[in-house]
Amino acid sequence: MTCEEAKTRMTDYWSRTLGEAGETEFNAHLASCETCRSEVSRVGALWQGLDLLPLEEPSGKVRDRFYEMLGAYRQGLAAAEARPAKRWWTIPAWQMAAAAGLVAVGLGIGYGVRGNGPLFGGAPAEVSQLREEVANMRQLVALSLMQQQSASDRLRGVSWAYRAEPSDREVLGALVSAVNHDANVNVRLAAVDALRRFSASPETGRAALQSLSKQTTPIVQVALIDLLVDLKDPQAAPELRRLSGNETANEGVRQKAQWALERLQ
Amino acid sequence: MNRFLMGGMIVGMIAALGALPAPAQNPVQNPLQNPAENQNSAQITVAFSNPSQPRRLVVKTLMHKVTIKGYDGKDAIIESSAISERRRRERNIPPGMHPLNVGRGGIEVTEANNVVTVSAETPLGGGDIQIQVPVETSVTVNTINNGVSVENISGEIEVESVNGGVSVTNSSGSVVATSMNGKVTVVLDKVAPGKAMSFSSMNGTIDVTLPADIKANLKMKVDNGDVYTDFDVKVTNEAFDTTESKTGKGVRIRGNRTTYGTINGGGPEMQFTTFNGRILIHKK
Amino acid sequence: MAEVSAGKVARLAVLFERYHRPLFRYFVSMNGNREQAEDLVQEVFFRMLRYRTSYDPAQSFTAWMYQIARNAGVDQVRKRGTAQVVDIDTFVDRRAELVSASPGPEESVSRGQDLALLRRAMDQLPEDKREILVLSRFQGMKHEDIAEVLGCEVGTVKVRVYRAIRALEQIYFTLEKEKAS
Repeated sequence: MTCEEAKTRMTDYWSRTLGEAGETEFNAHLASCETCRSEVSRVGALWQGLDLLPLEEPSGKVRDRFYEMLGAYRQGLAAAEARPAKRWWTIPAWQMAAAAGLVAVGLGIGYGVRGNGPLFGGAPAEVSQLREEVANMRQLVALSLMQQQSASDRLRGVSWAYRAEPSDREVLGALVSAVNHDANVNVRLAAVDALRRFSASPETGRAALQSLSKQTTPIVQVALIDLLVDLKDPQAAPELRRLSGNETANEGVRQKAQWALERLQ
Repeated sequence: MNRFLMGGMIVGMIAALGALPAPAQNPVQNPLQNPAENQNSAQITVAFSNPSQPRRLVVKTLMHKVTIKGYDGKDAIIESSAISERRRRERNIPPGMHPLNVGRGGIEVTEANNVVTVSAETPLGGGDIQIQVPVETSVTVNTINNGVSVENISGEIEVESVNGGVSVTNSSGSVVATSMNGKVTVVLDKVAPGKAMSFSSMNGTIDVTLPADIKANLKMKVDNGDVYTDFDVKVTNEAFDTTESKTGKGVRIRGNRTTYGTINGGGPEMQFTTFNGRILIHKK
Repeated sequence: MAEVSAGKVARLAVLFERYHRPLFRYFVSMNGNREQAEDLVQEVFFRMLRYRTSYDPAQSFTAWMYQIARNAGVDQVRKRGTAQVVDIDTFVDRRAELVSASPGPEESVSRGQDLALLRRAMDQLPEDKREILVLSRFQGMKHEDIAEVLGCEVGTVKVRVYRAIRALEQIYFTLEKEKAS
């Protein structure tokens, strides 16, 4: 055995995966080679030492999210098999997500990106295609959940919006529509918060401002004012001034508008 | 935005202002209250058209106080003590008499596709509406000038009141609740896995009791109050707006703060929002 | 996985229970961020579900899984773009503190090794070397499976593992000298 050969077998030797014959042969080389012997003991200590590094434990969130996804996926599959054609806005979200998944599989889009390029660096074309697919899927889930009858489901749709691309205009549009039209105060509140995901878009501030002039529910007005302050939108000043001076407006909202005006100056 | 009343057949009317006899199809013994005790009450029983499918109860009212209780039965039993004694005193209605403008104060009850809808969207009247439904029923209630109380229900619970308090107790499933001027009280024995929840009030306190083993991501926003809990909440992010000093007086104001945290490692999102109240999250 | 791809989607739960921790540790070693690592674990299982029909039962499951994991990692970096720049120095220091803050008897010093130093050395290792070390040392993968993940020969894997541990030794040695001086 040459020293070169010994080097490629060292990790197997430390891991005891050389086999009996291999080990005997390796030991024979070590007995005859001082350099390899010292290397095996020095680097081997480090190899074993890696075992002592504390193991990171994931939080319980990972498990919850997984089972939520799995349950939804199974439901969606079952539903998709039972009833094929429906108008899209009446289809439960998971059914849609499952359908999208099946389409993707049908297209035969491969996952395999092989090669020796830098791991977390540049990425080939398939990857960006895949990324788009996943983004579309999230958009689909967010959009369809926001159409559901139950407020709890719509809240979930809003939280899916956080996972959409910040450039996703459809999700932004759905959120704005939820802020303005959702029947449930809590869903409107959550949607206002989720607009922060899209704070880079100039539409966000415009929509928040427009909505503020239309909203009549004080707690939602407060949330919109907070958003406008966070967006540092100078356009908001006139509407805030109007609100703070409006005697018929809710007292808390007037205070909040006054507070916001000071912050925006 | 009326999702639930599509083509619903009106199966009964209860006079809110009059002491009309109950037009019940299948009179069911009502354990809540003996109708004989209150001359002003009326009762109706409505069957869900498909008992094996998920049920839903929708209540919309302007003036009534709404109480919903889960019971061991199949039907929805709706009872209206048309005018409470308190209300009678307030409105100075002579004893033994009732107003005659019944036509404008009716409660409408419809059933369609397993959804029972009770609506009393008239500015007249008031009093109590008491409804019993099977424990496993989803419930949506909207009231304006009075409170809502939901007890012993397992399902998706959505309650909203403008001027009254909102309370959900001894229940399980998921809750989305809001009140503008009242307190929001929620006590959940069990939560449905994966369901998002949200509780909000402009001027009231949010008081929520959750099972000790609940896994949740919390988002708590309060403007003029604080958040208290006996849960072991891991705060993941606390965004304080920079505390400011008002010129001259040295008054410190603190506004706009949202606290994020997780319980038991995190899970579905739970949102708590109040402007003037405080937030209490109890461990059950 | 063969059962999962044959349609028994619930079997994925078994795989999840078995592999989500190693996967999580892989991602934490690679990007140092727990939250992102959790997102990525979810993403990997999501993709397994979507592409389950493309799983070849003759293929090693772990190899398939880490192929998906690598791609998910690549995607995430692309998504983050240049928006988030992690300050490597402070990051490494924090990790070092974390380790040294809890000095168990075997953790403080072992065979003359300082675990905090070792941790720092790992973090400073170039990505490709760190990855191959994590796969072979922490994930306990066979050289054959690693070859499949990386798309290279088994012999190449052996050489690269060796080079990685040698590179780690160099960094460790340098850090030790810095500390001593």
